[in-house]
Amino acid sequence: MTTPAGIALDHLSKTFRSRGKAVEALRDVSLDCPPGSFTALIGPSGCGKSTVLRTALGLEPLDSGAVRIGDRTPDKATRAGLTGVAFQDAALLPWRTVAQNVALPLEVLGRPVAPEAGRIRELIALVGLKGREAALPGELSGGMRQRVAIARALVTEPRVLFLDEPFGALDQILRRQMNIELQRIWAETGVTALLVTHGIDEAVFLADRVAVMQAAPGRIVEVVDVPFARPRTPALFADDAFHHLCDHIAGVLHGGADAG
Amino acid sequence: MPADPARRRLTTAMRTLWPVLALLALWELAGQLDWVAGGALPSLSEIAHRYWLDRGDYPRHIQATLIASGAGFVIGNAIAVAAGLLFVLAPVTGRIARGLNIAIFALPPIAIAPILALTLDGMTPRIVLAALGVYFVTMQATVTGLQHFDSRAGDLVRAYGGGKAAVMRFVQIRSAVPAILSGFRVAAPNAVLGAILAEFGGGGRWGLGTYLLGSLGRADPARLWGIGLTATAIAGLGYAVFALISARMLGRSRSVTLNPAAPPAESRQPLSVPVMTASVALPFALWWLVLWVLNVPRMIGKTPWDVVDYLFFSAQSAQAQTRLLEALTQTLPITLAGMGAGLAFAFALAVSSRLTPGFTRAFLPVALVTQTMPLVALTPLLVLILGRGTAVTLWITISVTFFPAYVMIAQGLAQVPRAALELPRAYGATAWRELRLVAIPASAPWAMAAVRLTAPRALLGVMIAEWLATGRGLGNLLNQSRGYMDFSMIWTVALTSVLISVAFYQIALVIERRVLARMAAL
Repeated sequence: MTTPAGIALDHLSKTFRSRGKAVEALRDVSLDCPPGSFTALIGPSGCGKSTVLRTALGLEPLDSGAVRIGDRTPDKATRAGLTGVAFQDAALLPWRTVAQNVALPLEVLGRPVAPEAGRIRELIALVGLKGREAALPGELSGGMRQRVAIARALVTEPRVLFLDEPFGALDQILRRQMNIELQRIWAETGVTALLVTHGIDEAVFLADRVAVMQAAPGRIVEVVDVPFARPRTPALFADDAFHHLCDHIAGVLHGGADAG
Repeated sequence: MPADPARRRLTTAMRTLWPVLALLALWELAGQLDWVAGGALPSLSEIAHRYWLDRGDYPRHIQATLIASGAGFVIGNAIAVAAGLLFVLAPVTGRIARGLNIAIFALPPIAIAPILALTLDGMTPRIVLAALGVYFVTMQATVTGLQHFDSRAGDLVRAYGGGKAAVMRFVQIRSAVPAILSGFRVAAPNAVLGAILAEFGGGGRWGLGTYLLGSLGRADPARLWGIGLTATAIAGLGYAVFALISARMLGRSRSVTLNPAAPPAESRQPLSVPVMTASVALPFALWWLVLWVLNVPRMIGKTPWDVVDYLFFSAQSAQAQTRLLEALTQTLPITLAGMGAGLAFAFALAVSSRLTPGFTRAFLPVALVTQTMPLVALTPLLVLILGRGTAVTLWITISVTFFPAYVMIAQGLAQVPRAALELPRAYGATAWRELRLVAIPASAPWAMAAVRLTAPRALLGVMIAEWLATGRGLGNLLNQSRGYMDFSMIWTVALTSVLISVAFYQIALVIERRVLARMAAL
């Protein structure tokens, strides 16, 4: 188990300008994810939740504010291999096999791949794709590709894991399975996780805290603590307290009134 | 419906083959009965017979052309790929080299063939002209290919601290391979064309161009056809090899889902004044430099200033201007007409290949043969059939414009991601609607690039026809001046034709930007 690093988002603001129009994507977004915690960021489409994640990875410059991962800037943290990431689309390279795709972050970081071959096989088995190491992405289903992306996100043994709607394109059954898998992986690795999602039940099931965002301008309106004990089992999805919390978050999403 | 795959493959092969066989049979019949222009189209058996009689001549001619075009192909493509990489990694170099790139592209090989023959010796002019012919196509394909990559894969590399070079190494280079191969494919006939044109313009004992020129006066259609078909086979072989390789690689290169990112809008940035000045000055500076390095005698090698002086300030300037203007009024209208027709034809074929694959399968081998036939080999044959009038110029221009445009547009259509194509189909859309909704918009940037690519080629087609057949316009003026050793006029025609081509290119670019801007606004 590696030592997790925390994520600190400090007063982030960002405005996109295109063809004369200005869209305020983020206004004064602050969020603190302690080491080893699991935080979900939830909000309607276009509320800037993916932008939060992109700025935290240093993919998008900020107008003001700062991001710290552990005690480093995003650029330094990504280059040091502290972070793992899975996007909404698997974004696999179509000419690489499953195993080669999983190994890509190692190659980008300039680390040797050969000594990691055993671990890459384990990761592929962990996401349920044992025996498909040599398959090309075009030969896999959407769910399988997404699981390759999860394995790839873990290959660097990251201390911080960024997940941008990684199960958005999966069906409900597979999604639940992946949620349980992800919880297990998170517990095993002790990584700090920031999950961007628009699935309320997914957020509540996985996270210690759910940060609810609203759009125009993109901002965090409430941070909801999730009290359920771990490990959480599928039975939780049928629990009254679980539904109560989901309803509350839905209420916040739909205009701030407390529905509970 | 045949059930077993072997039989189905045979049926498909037959469906492709029978129109070709039917055409060959028709050709034989037409030749035997002298149907076309009083025997201008010899029968296949006559061509084969003549070939047998000439069998002693061919090997050395073929060898000479093969060496020149092969060397030019390799050198030109190596430079082109390296340049494409540089322009994408450091866009400012692309902007500075822009003027030079366009000049190289717009350079009608026919116009500089005499100049190269005057200033270089041995095989060098042929290799240089072949390399010049392939450079722009491959460079452009490399740049386009490197810019159209899956931006999400790029994000992933950057999310692990990868910089521009890492994105290039892990994502862009490999995903550009199909585009680069398609560049090679189009470039292969260009290399043969360049080598043969140089053989035309310069001396030398061996080469298919020399052979063709020597046989032109002998009114032996069977031999002209034999030489033409040989040149075609060389070019076609190059085309086929790269078509095969790229077909095998495309499946592994296409991303599985739609990449939402548009191609980067770098080229739309207005050029800053120093960059623009450098871009315009660079080709002229190189012109001067090459003359100086090669130590060309002043009588033969004219500098840019010499041309201006000749055209505006010298004693012959009035007469020179009159001749040039007269040639231009003959050349320009027919160029525009042929270009429009060629483009329309290419788009129709690319679209129909999506709508009715069967028709394309039947038509394409025939089109391929006529298209890989290097223009200089095709022209005498068309002259035999169509005579020396306007029709021949028009047909040559169409044929020149058509092929690159078709390849670019079809390439754009083939790159439409699977998910995007399947969405309208899932809603029961007809093939036509599917094409209109997804394929045409998705391939629009490629279609516009095709417009830009073909504009200067149209001028080349007209000039070759004028040189070899009609005896009018710029092509004829060039040929005459060559005969009179009127070096000033040779350089003037070369410069004028490049400037016209550049103008065509710029106009096409303005149209392309208008179309793209309107599409982005929707």
